Formats: sequence, C-alpha cells, structure tokens
Amino acid sequence: MMDLPDPQQSQRPDGATAAKPIVELSDVHLHLASAGGKVNILRGLDLSVNAGETIGVVGPSGSGKSTMMMVIAGLERPTSGTVRVAGSELATLNEDALALFRRRSVGIVFQAFHLVPTMSAVENVAVPLEFARIDDAFERARASLETVGLGDRLTHYPSQLSGGEQQRVAIARAFATEPNLLLADEPTGNLDGDTGTQVIDILFERAARFGTTLLLITHDRGLAQRCSRVVQLRDGRIVDHGNTPP
Amino acid sequence: MSSEDAASWTLAWRLARRELRSGVRGFRVFLACLTVGVAAIAAVGSTSSGLTASLGNDAREILGGDVAVRLVQRPAQQSEQRHLGTTGRLSGSAEMRAMVQSDAVGPNGARSLVELKAVDDAYPLYGALETEPRLSRQDLFGRRGELSGVAVAPQLVDRLGVSVGDILRVGDGRFEIRAILAHEPDRLAGSGIFSLGPRVMIAKSALAETGLEQPGSLIYYTYRVALPDSVDPEDWIADLNTEFPDAGWRIRRLDEAAPQIRRLVQRVGLFLTFVGLTALLVGGVGVANAVSAYLDGKTAVIATLKCLGAPARLIVRIYLLQILTLAGVGIIAGLVLGVLTPFAASGVIAAFLPVPVSTGIYPGALLIAALFGSLTALSFGLWPVARAAQIPAGSLFRNLVAPVRARPPAVYVAITAVGLVALAALAVVTADDTGLALWFVGGAAAAMATFRIVAALIAIAARRVGNLRQPAVRLAVAALHRPGTPTPSVVLALGLGLSVLVTIAQVDGNLSRQIREELPTGAPAFFFIDLQPNQIAPFEALLADIDGVEKTVQVPMLRGRITSIAGVAAETATIDPNSRWAIRGDRGVTWSEAAPENSPVVEGEWWQAHYDGPQLVSLDADVAAGFGVGIGDTLTVNVLGREFTATIANLRHIDWQTLSINFVMIFSPGFLEAAPRSHIAIVHADPAAEAEIERGVTNAFRNVSAVRVRDALETVNGIVTGIGTAVRLAALVALVAGTLVLAGAIAASHRRRVYDSVVLKVLGATRRNVMTIFVLEYGLLGLVTASLAAIVGSIAAWAVLRFLMNIDWVLMPQTVALTVIGATVIILAIGVVGTWHTLGQKTAPLLRND
Ligand SMILES: Nc1ncnc2c1ncn2[C@@H]1O[C@H](COP(=O)(O)OP(=O)(O)OP(=O)(O)O)[C@@H](O)[C@H]1O
Ligand SMILES: [Mg+2]
Repeated sequence: MMDLPDPQQSQRPDGATAAKPIVELSDVHLHLASAGGKVNILRGLDLSVNAGETIGVVGPSGSGKSTMMMVIAGLERPTSGTVRVAGSELATLNEDALALFRRRSVGIVFQAFHLVPTMSAVENVAVPLEFARIDDAFERARASLETVGLGDRLTHYPSQLSGGEQQRVAIARAFATEPNLLLADEPTGNLDGDTGTQVIDILFERAARFGTTLLLITHDRGLAQRCSRVVQLRDGRIVDHGNTPP
Repeated sequence: MSSEDAASWTLAWRLARRELRSGVRGFRVFLACLTVGVAAIAAVGSTSSGLTASLGNDAREILGGDVAVRLVQRPAQQSEQRHLGTTGRLSGSAEMRAMVQSDAVGPNGARSLVELKAVDDAYPLYGALETEPRLSRQDLFGRRGELSGVAVAPQLVDRLGVSVGDILRVGDGRFEIRAILAHEPDRLAGSGIFSLGPRVMIAKSALAETGLEQPGSLIYYTYRVALPDSVDPEDWIADLNTEFPDAGWRIRRLDEAAPQIRRLVQRVGLFLTFVGLTALLVGGVGVANAVSAYLDGKTAVIATLKCLGAPARLIVRIYLLQILTLAGVGIIAGLVLGVLTPFAASGVIAAFLPVPVSTGIYPGALLIAALFGSLTALSFGLWPVARAAQIPAGSLFRNLVAPVRARPPAVYVAITAVGLVALAALAVVTADDTGLALWFVGGAAAAMATFRIVAALIAIAARRVGNLRQPAVRLAVAALHRPGTPTPSVVLALGLGLSVLVTIAQVDGNLSRQIREELPTGAPAFFFIDLQPNQIAPFEALLADIDGVEKTVQVPMLRGRITSIAGVAAETATIDPNSRWAIRGDRGVTWSEAAPENSPVVEGEWWQAHYDGPQLVSLDADVAAGFGVGIGDTLTVNVLGREFTATIANLRHIDWQTLSINFVMIFSPGFLEAAPRSHIAIVHADPAAEAEIERGVTNAFRNVSAVRVRDALETVNGIVTGIGTAVRLAALVALVAGTLVLAGAIAASHRRRVYDSVVLKVLGATRRNVMTIFVLEYGLLGLVTASLAAIVGSIAAWAVLRFLMNIDWVLMPQTVALTVIGATVIILAIGVVGTWHTLGQKTAPLLRND
C-alpha cells in the first residue's frame, strides 16, 4: 500500500516531523448572509492539531462544530483567517485543487453514512480509490472491508445493510485512501449504543493503525474522553483547547 | 484531449454505468419524449424521402422522356419539330379538356368533362401504356370501319355507364371504346393531381375528328424527347434555346417530372417536420424536467462524491454520460419507429397521392432525426446536470441536501447555447425552404421566451400578492413562487404543448372549413372554356333563354408565359418563393379597355378609354411585390411564340378566393387582338339550372368544355382532405408529446410536493384541504398559461396557413376555447387523480429517515 501517491508521507508520527501541526486554524471568521441578515457562525476560531492526535470536539448545538469541520475539509471558505491542513494553505487552492486535496488527505464520516445507494459496498469503498486512479482499487476496497468485518457483504447494496454495517462501510471508505486526517461528524448519532461502540472501536483502531489524525464531533462526553484531547466550542470560538500535549 | 481528461471520461463512464445498472425508472418520460420527437422527424423524413425517391426513380416514365417541351395553344412548327427529332426519339401529344357523351343517349343524356390526350405512335417513350384488354396500338386507336378507337379511364365507365365496344362522342367525333386504361406511365406529368375529369386517350392522327382543335383553343402540345446516353440534356436544352430563342415553350427536365406533387410533398413534409420539431422541443422541456427530477433525487450522492474528492467536472461527466446513454436508447427507438412508419403510411398516402412510397431505409433522414434528438438531449439535459454539479458537498454535514437552483457555470451555459443554436441551424439547413424554417425557429424561440417570461411574472405576482386571508389560497399562491417551484417548467411545458394543440386544431379547422364550405358565396356555377369568337353571340343568346341563369361574363383569353421581368430573364430573376407560381407555367392573359370590376386598382392609374399608345400592362400587386417590380418597369410575355413587352401601368388587388375570372396580367388594347384566341365564360346560376345549362351549351357547341366549379373544388378538396389527414396525424404526435411532458412535469413537481402534503397531513390537513391547494395552484397556472397559449397558437396557425399552405386563416374561437379548456381540464384531472392517489398513501414511510 505504500505506492499511494501521497506527498504527506513524511509527516507520519513515526517520521521526523511528527510534532508539526497537521491542522492549523488561526483567527477564522465565517459570516453568512441569510434572509434574516448577517449571521456570524465562526468568530475568531484558533485550533492547532498535531499529526497523530485524536481530538474530540464537543459543544452545544449550533456552536459551529460542523461548520468548523467543513472549513477544515475545504468545503466552506472562511470569510477571514487562515486554514492550513496537511501542509496546504486552503485559501490558495481553487475548487479542483480542493477536490484533489480532499481525495489525498481527508476522509470524512457522517452521521447519516451517505453511501451511494446505487453502488454495492465494495464499489462505495472503491470510489475514492478510483478517483485517485489507483489500479487495484477493488482489491484494496475488499481488503479494507474485511478489516471492518464486512468481508462477506461486499456485493450488498446499502439498502441491504443495517445502520451499523453501513457506517462500517463508510469508515472503510473514509480510510481507503489512507488519509492523514479523518473527520467524523457524530458518526454514531444514528446508531444504538452497542452498535455505536462497535463502530467507534473500529474507527479508533483504524486511526491508530494508519497513524491518522482524527477529529471526532460528538455529543457523548464519554466518547470524547477516549480521544487524546477534547476541544470545546461555544458561539463559534474554541473555549477550551483541552490539555495540549507538549 | 489530455490523457488526464481521457482517464476522467473513462472513470466517469464507469461510475455512470454503475448508476444506470439500477434501472431507468425516473426516465420513462425522458425516453418517451425523445422517442416520440425523433420518431416523428424520422418518419416524416423517411416518408418524404420515399416519395421523392419514387418520383426520382420513375422520373423518366413520369416525364415521359428525358426532356419535355410544352407549348400551349399552338403545335410546334415544322422546323421546330424537325429540330426536336434530330438528336433522339421524339413523341408528341396534345392534351386538353373536352366533353364526352355516350352515343347511345340523346341530347339529354349524361355527359362528362374529361382530360383528353392524343398520342402519336412513338408514345410512350419510357414505360408502357397498359390497357384492359391488351391491344396492339393499331387495334387500340386505329380505324376500324369508319370509327377510330379510344381508351378511357375506369372512372368514365362508372360515370357514363359505357363499356368496351360502345361508341363515345368526343367533341364532334365518334369513337369506339376499345379498352379501359390501366396504367398511363406519364399520368403525373400533365395536369398532375389537379385533373378535372377522367382520362380519355385517342391517337393524335384522330384529333382532327373531334373538331376540338380550333384556333386559340386551350390545348397543350407536349414534345417528349428520349436522348441517347451520350447527349447531356443540359447541352441539348442550351442548343434548343439558341436555335429557337422565342419559341415560348416550357422546357422540363427529369428533376421537374412531377413538380406539383414534388412541391406538395415538400410543403406537407415541411409542415410535418415543423410539428415533429415542436414535439421534440416540447420533449426537450420534458427532458430537462426529467433530468432535473432525477438529479434532485441524486443530490446526496453528488454531494458524497464531491466529499470523496470528485471535482464538479467529473460529476457533470458522470451524469451527462448517463443521460446521453439513455438518449441513445430513446433515439434508436425513435429511429426504428421512423423507419417503420413509411410502410404503414404508404396505404394512407396512396389514398390521396397517386405516387407509390419507395419504402426503405433512408440514412440521410435518419441521421438528421438522430442529430435533432442528440442535440435536444444535450441542450436540454446539460443545464440541469451542470446545475446539479454545483451542489455544495458541505451540505452533507447538515443532513439537508436541497437541489440547487442556481445558474450553472458559464462554460455550460455556453455549451447549452451552442447546442440550441446548432439545433436551430440544423432545422434551417435541412429544410427545403430556408425562409420558412427561419420563421419557424424564430417563432419557436419567441414562444419559449414568452412562456418563460410569463412564468417569471407569475412568480413575481404571486410574491407581491402578500398575505391572503384564505389559508388554501395563501398556500397555493405561495407554492407558485417558493424556491424550487415547478412554475417555470409547468408553464413552459403546458404553454408549448397547448400552443401546438391550438395551432393544429385551427389548421385542421381551417382546412375542414375549406372542404365543408359548399361554394364561396358569389362563386360561379360554370366555367366554359374554348369558346370561339364567333360562338359568343349564340352562346349568350342561348343562356338568355334558360331560366335560372343569373349572370354571364365572358372575356377573350390567351395563354402566355412571362419570359422576362424588368429586362431580366425570368429564370434568373430574383423572385419571392410565394410568387414563383406566376412564372412557372403559362398564365391566362387578356386585354381590356375598362378596368375590371372585381379587382380594384391599388396603385397607379388605369389607362384612358380609347387608349392606343405603347403597350401597357396591369399586374397583380402581390406578384409585383414578389417580382420586386413596380409601375414603370417592363414585363415581357411570350404569347403563341411572339414576345410582347409592356410597361407596368398599374397594380391591382386580386382576391383569388372569389373564383371569378381573374388575370394576373391585363394588357392595354391594340396588341393581342390579332392572335388566335378563344374566350372563357363564367356563368352564375341557380344550382337547379346547372344541368340544363351544361346540356344546352355542350349540345350546341361541341368544342366547348364545361367545368363545373363544384366538381373542380371537389378535386381540390380531395387533396386538402389528404393534407388534413396528415395534419391530424401530426396532431396526434403533438398530443402525445405534450401529454407526456405535462404528465412528467406534474409527476416531478408531485414528488417534490408529496413530502409537503404529508407534512400538512401530519399537521392535520385533510385530503380535501391538500387537494384544494393543488387545484388552486394548477388552476391558476393553467388559466394564465392556456390563455397565452391560445394567442401563441392562433398566431402560429395563421402563419402556417398563410405562408405554408396559402390558405386564408379564420379565427375559430370555439375551437380554441374548446382546445385550451379541454386540455387544461384533462391535465387538472390527471393531476387530481395522481395527487389523490399519493395522498392516500401511508404517511409514516415518508417521514422515516432516508
Ligand atoms: N447556510 C447557513 N446559513 C445561515 N446560517 C447557517 C448556515 N449553516 C449553518 N448556519 C448556522 O451556523 C451555526 C452553526 O451551525 P453548525 O451546523 O456548525 O452547528 P453544530 O455545532 O454542528 O450544531 P449541531 O450540534 O446541532 O450539529 C448554526 O447556528 C446554524 O444555524
Ligand atoms: Mg453539526
């Protein structure tokens, strides 16, 4: 798997640059003009995440957690402030370059899974690999599904899978390209307790194996505590950076 | 294309296939729209190609030679005949109208106007004359005892109750019926489809026995020449023209074998192509709706793919490929239908056109239809695809992926524009008549723009209305302008669909009006042709004695061909297509001292009484406009081999619909009098007196032919009925396309609103409440759109009738009202039934997540 076209290989925690931040947000503001007037969603957000960290993001509903993730994934452009992710200054990238950036560096897991309903499990996992022009996309996808315990469900369609299974496919898909950064927005929000725990175990296990930096939004304090650091948002600002490791 | 780009197309295709695999449920309307449109165009193209091919393949037979030279009122002179016969084989014939009667009946017996043709021994040069029984030429026409032979068409047998062996009076002569005509190879070349009576054929050498060959009689002498392969007909014609520059004959080549039919086929074909194109255009709206609806269901997938790193470009490709693949299926289905149609249509066509349809595959026609289909799919499908590719990936974080309603990026707008322009260009380039095609394209664009603007106005008005007390009305009005409202597509689809229906209903109505209307008021009962000058006085005296004769008008008539216009040879002059008829064949000309009563002078002055200056001519104002000439310009006319050049003195307005005697050209007195001439008379009479008039005149003047206006109109009506059938078939196509699109638009908006209505239901609305909102919303839309469609459709009908069919247009308010109200009610009914059905469904499944 080492032939992945990944310029950020050297930033793995086992490398010399392990302590270098993989996510750096400084003074990020986001205003949106809506019908009711201007809304300030992010108001001077600062965040620094080192490679290999696992961060739990908590905060009241509407505090801007999802929006922050979108900014980090390059899906939303901030009104002001700088966003550096995996060595790229996102403001300098155009739409296509952002797509390329996501393909190479970011994996995302959503609360609602968002599998493509017309594709089987293995096809869903293969899609990002296909986008990256990887020849053995399907073999890798199969292998990836086996590691999340779905080796016997390869050709099933999302509608034929349970919620927990769907989320495992989504995790396999997010890890398929071995991204440096994995963003998960309430990945267990639609799952019952046991299934949720099972999915989270897999998530952490995968992150640890690939040395992936993990940003996990959750309402579940206990879940957040499993992360190496817990960050708290309120009104579009980080009010608690958690105990930043040295 | 870079390799990166190619790889991206391959990838897009792979993903497209993956999605197509799960079926084409949402694409039924899409497929049907394209199939119907393409099938219509392919069918019309194949059928008219088939007809044209028949005319082309059999051109030699139809024309009767490689070149045909026609003279009117005079046979070719010795020197001319000699020249015509030098290079190839020559066959001469004479054609005229005549009266025939069975010799067995007395002066009160039935008689018939016939198309008489006298042929020489060389006839026919190509093809074979078939009769029942088969006889040698000598047995067929030759003298047996004291009588020559005649062959008659089966219709005459029916009409007069004669049979083989009977004696037939043709003019003054008596002929023995030897056989019934089964096939006359050059039937279409002569009077073509507008024949006034059954064919009767005799030998040219026996023509004198009829006594019909009088000076100035309206006889067409045709000389057909079969040229050896080594001779180029064009060279031959050029040579003929140098040798006899002033002969005044009309020379026809193989490609002009059956010009009337060819023109008719072209005209009707053009009209049907326009209907097909409109169906395709309406279908295009359906395509856009179907694609939008399909992509609305794909928003989450698109956002997901973008999150996984797919650039917008790749998304566009994935969905464009899906749509083009499905379009391919629809187009192929359309082409298959189009190929099969001529086989089915040949029976229908045979009923009113005496031309076989050469059935087969016409790649040209199919290619054009396929191109139209592809361009439509691209132009109307790309827009929603490009728009859908704009869906922000980040919306996945909010679990609320709404369809995007923004304008797609400039590059796709440009491609769409290019596609539409290409569509228009193709319509213009492939049409036989560029001018009409341009009008059609302009009209279609204007209609679409109008409906689009009206849709915007409706939305604006709905927003302006403000707070309404009645909650159902408020919700209905709100639905008209909320984001993602189906108002624009419904107005466009309903508007275009209804416009086509209104157009066709009115075209059809006007055609049937023409057929139904017995006789135009004030129309004469008879035309009598070939009256000799010395027969005028006894003719008038005879009519004066018959009760019921209201009015008799007779004028001298010569036939002349316009040979040059303002000094330019007529063949090379620039002439508006609508006025070409005036130079195509020979026209009746006359002279007069006084201005005619029924065609007022609209420009210039009529010549003074007793005028004897240089030759002047009074011209039809429309023809003058078409020729681009005015008062003071000259016109040269060849009459009986002599050229007359006259200065245009004034222009008259002629109403051809009145069926009175009208001449495009009336000359000043003093020039044409010397030429041999006959007179034409019209007789207005009480219908009850018609039989007596016909009998009296034709008994007294054996050389005079009586044309019953009623019968003549019937012949024309037969053809109009045929066209009407074609129009009604077209209506069917338009109806299918329109209904499909509307059903599609309503279904699409349905899906969008089912969720709304379910929520309303959860909030306590009854089915009736939801229904009222729906009926109000669509009723409002329907009312505005239908009224506009009535106007647009009426304008289109006027244009089609006026410019394409040369028929007067009369507004038919009931037809229009019935069409729009009927269609709107049907649409509402479909919508109501559909909505009621969806409302009956369980609420829960729709509210459950995903
Ligand atoms: N397109 C938008 N226009 C206007 N306001 C928006 C838009 N998107 C988000 N917001 C607002 O931004 C704020 C932050 O939203 P965000 O989804 O980031 O919150 P969150 O912390 O993820 O909340 P939750 O825990 O409920 O998911 C909210 O107040 C929301 O109303
Ligand atoms: Mg959120």
